Amino acid sequence: MQSHGDEEEGMKGNRKIILVLGIALAAGCTNLPRSRDLGNPNVAGATLAQQVCSNCHGVTGTSVSPNMPNLAAQQPAYISAQLKLFRSRERLDPAGFEYMWGISRTLADKQIDELAAYYAAQTLPTQRPEGSVASIDAGKPIFNAGIVDRQVPPCSSCHGPHGRGNGNFPRIAGQHADYIVKQLGVFQRTDERPEGAVMKTVAHKLTPSDIASVAAYLQAMPLE
Amino acid sequence: MCARVPMSRFASTVIALMVILFMMPQLAQALPAFARQTGQNCVACHAGGQFPELTPYGRMFKMTGYTIGRNVIPLSVMGVVSDSSVNNTSKSPDPHADFQKNNSLIFATGSVFAAGRLTDNIGMFLQWTYDNYGSQSADGSLHGHSNVDNMDVRYADRFVSAEHDFIYGVSVNDNPSVSDPWNTAAAWMQYVPVPSPTSSRFIDGTTPYPGLAAGGNIAGITAYAFWDKWLYIEAGDYRTAKGSLSLFSAGIPKDGKTKLKGNNPYGRVTLSHEWGAHNLMIGATAMKAKIYDDPLDTSDPLSVHRFRDVGVDAQYQYLLDPQAITVQVAYMHETHRYPYFLADQPMQDANGNPLPNTNAVDKTRTFRIKGSYIFDAKYGASLAFFNLTGTRNSAAYDPTPTSGNISGNPAVRGFTPEIFWTPVQYVRIGLQYTIYNKYNGASHNYDGAGRNASDNNSLFLYLWAAY
Repeated sequence: MQSHGDEEEGMKGNRKIILVLGIALAAGCTNLPRSRDLGNPNVAGATLAQQVCSNCHGVTGTSVSPNMPNLAAQQPAYISAQLKLFRSRERLDPAGFEYMWGISRTLADKQIDELAAYYAAQTLPTQRPEGSVASIDAGKPIFNAGIVDRQVPPCSSCHGPHGRGNGNFPRIAGQHADYIVKQLGVFQRTDERPEGAVMKTVAHKLTPSDIASVAAYLQAMPLE
Repeated sequence: MCARVPMSRFASTVIALMVILFMMPQLAQALPAFARQTGQNCVACHAGGQFPELTPYGRMFKMTGYTIGRNVIPLSVMGVVSDSSVNNTSKSPDPHADFQKNNSLIFATGSVFAAGRLTDNIGMFLQWTYDNYGSQSADGSLHGHSNVDNMDVRYADRFVSAEHDFIYGVSVNDNPSVSDPWNTAAAWMQYVPVPSPTSSRFIDGTTPYPGLAAGGNIAGITAYAFWDKWLYIEAGDYRTAKGSLSLFSAGIPKDGKTKLKGNNPYGRVTLSHEWGAHNLMIGATAMKAKIYDDPLDTSDPLSVHRFRDVGVDAQYQYLLDPQAITVQVAYMHETHRYPYFLADQPMQDANGNPLPNTNAVDKTRTFRIKGSYIFDAKYGASLAFFNLTGTRNSAAYDPTPTSGNISGNPAVRGFTPEIFWTPVQYVRIGLQYTIYNKYNGASHNYDGAGRNASDNNSLFLYLWAAY
């Protein structure tokens, strides 16, 4: 048989729990300054960047994991374009459909532009080199001069002499090497990024070794 | 005669599972509740797609109250179809009862979830489970039964800037550590649902896992904080689930409910760090619980078992698509003080010979380590080692064949290798083989009826799907 005192004690405890939950419910309906609601167009892009995107890309757009690209100091036009391509499901690579289709599916254009501005305004610190010195050294001439024999143009011709990008040409300096390698593979072997069709031609004759070298160089590139 | 695993039977089971798999294309293409909410693939939150183990992002999703994403209908379902096969059923006087449904493909369990965001700060993870063989009639026939499973409703907020990142929250839940973001926590390290028929009595899910004595179907409130992605602290208190929170033990038979005396504190602290594709956590857990011996009679305040659990755990993950490597280690030390009427009691063996009096206090130490590798979120393998040691106690003396223990020693030790395949992201097919070196304190004749630990080696095939 349940003791009366214990029953009463338990009821009091449960009432406290319900009270705390009720207060929490009442307090938590909307919280625009710190919302993680991807379906609410009134949440500012900067809020989403901090509350949601930061989980993978870092609060300042510098991601810890090479699985996720750095976004700091990225070209705003490029970020806007990519978010819209994720949203419309036109960007089909695994990084797109596994992680970004859902995140972007209900973003308003205004939020996308705010996100682009947020990341463009961040500073990307010079990265600790992920590749070997030999690999970095081998990548430098590909970036600056291309591979003439195989009609591979220099990366710098579109992405700029410092790899900062321009407009729809993204910043590639300081990007994770693994991300560069995977994306060059996507361009080279698939049609999963139709907006980057020009890169299919560019990357066509790069060997796996070339790709690893140029990615190592880009990741470790001195940032100014 | 020794009933070895008939491989042809297993081959036919595999074929049957494949047929089931291809008969549910809707299941394969649809999204469970959290994925519908974020729109992301399972692999975003689950390491290598192996639910329920969380990635760094998945942990943030949980700690921020399941609130990332948009509001959707927060419902999901889950089901497990399985086939268990015990290595040797010949030493039992009643194999039919001791190994129910052995070598039989069964629909084992199904769950319904209400899970997802409710507001900007509040989310829930509520699970109700139907066990297709959850109750047994006097004549031994098995019947379905449903009851509450994991319950976690929480409020969370996050203050983040370029310099600092601070998450705090409050969770109302029914199981200490179910609110934890790490999968070495007591509530999460064992994950594949265990079928109730006795042919599954030795599968990996029944082997020693570092757990907390209080278990589920109780009611608690915990507060937690995660500071700069390196320090996690959680503390709370648990009580009997009753009154307005009786939902937390709904469906549990009255004689199976956990009745706690007074307040039962729980605490947790972890340190974690991410670098490159790696992340590492080390943590500690502690809980004190006072559990009534008889849930149907709590009139005597001294009729409680007093438990003190203190554990340490660690988890390492390397996550770089398409590869995922995980190592999990957990250790739990449990002190169990018996109520006065069970302590220091005379005991005798089956022949009437006296045994030492029963212990007033038992101590057990449970250790487990598991490593896993998954490629492309589809193909995986893992290897686990488990070892439980503890105080020898005459109270554990039991000459019953198969389940018995003639030494009073609780020791269990063994390995479980597993391979699994995730053909589509919401379906996993796994094959585990659990190998025992020691069971109930001995390698040989642990039950006094000639049964060896290796006789319990078990093959477990499962198909686990969610919608």
